[in-house]
Amino acid sequence: MNSTLPTLLDITRAPIDLNALQTSITTPLDGAVVLFTGTVRGRTGDEITEQLEYEAYQEMAVAKLQQIADEMRAQFAGIHGIALVQRIGVMALGEPTVAVAVSAGHRGDGAFEAARFGIDRLKQIVPVWKRETRPDGSSWIEGDYMPTAADRR
Amino acid sequence: MHIRLFATLKERAGRADIEIDLTEDITVAELRHRVGQAHPQLAELAARSVVSVNREFAFDHETVRASDEVALFPPVSGG
Repeated sequence: MNSTLPTLLDITRAPIDLNALQTSITTPLDGAVVLFTGTVRGRTGDEITEQLEYEAYQEMAVAKLQQIADEMRAQFAGIHGIALVQRIGVMALGEPTVAVAVSAGHRGDGAFEAARFGIDRLKQIVPVWKRETRPDGSSWIEGDYMPTAADRR
Repeated sequence: MHIRLFATLKERAGRADIEIDLTEDITVAELRHRVGQAHPQLAELAARSVVSVNREFAFDHETVRASDEVALFPPVSGG
């Protein structure tokens, strides 16, 4: 693990600037950056979503983002920069709600796999919740992953 | 002891934190029970929620001290 490699971890109310995020984790060693964003989906089958509101247990969420970055570096030795950013507050259709970016020397150096791992892990262990507003009202969405002792730092 | 609540639990309680009397060390399982006793509207959710102690996941057989930072919340749904 190289402590000089860029790692951007944030739980923020500000809109996610994807260009700035990519730039901030790209080093002179990098020829590839994989960027995943989640967005507010307006339709799920016949269900209509008008907006999502996110809240976080901020202090624990930041600690869990750091844990995920550490896990990514441990599992994908070829990657360089990592960004894990979750936006909170109210978001409209199409807005990025979350961004995961990974840089590497070449596209085959694990950046795709690490980004996939990062978003999957974020959705398991980072204490953030979304409240969905539909035409008929709003309610909190609960996830389906119950953490185990293996999910601790 | 001060307990932080999030999402569904916060909504059910009508507030972001609750207090329970705690002078001795108890288990996480006992904590769930006491939250339900002190705040009956939370009993069903507290029995199955995620519990964190000092910003880390905690499990039923483990110990909670009065000085710990404790939170109850549903399975996460970020992303």
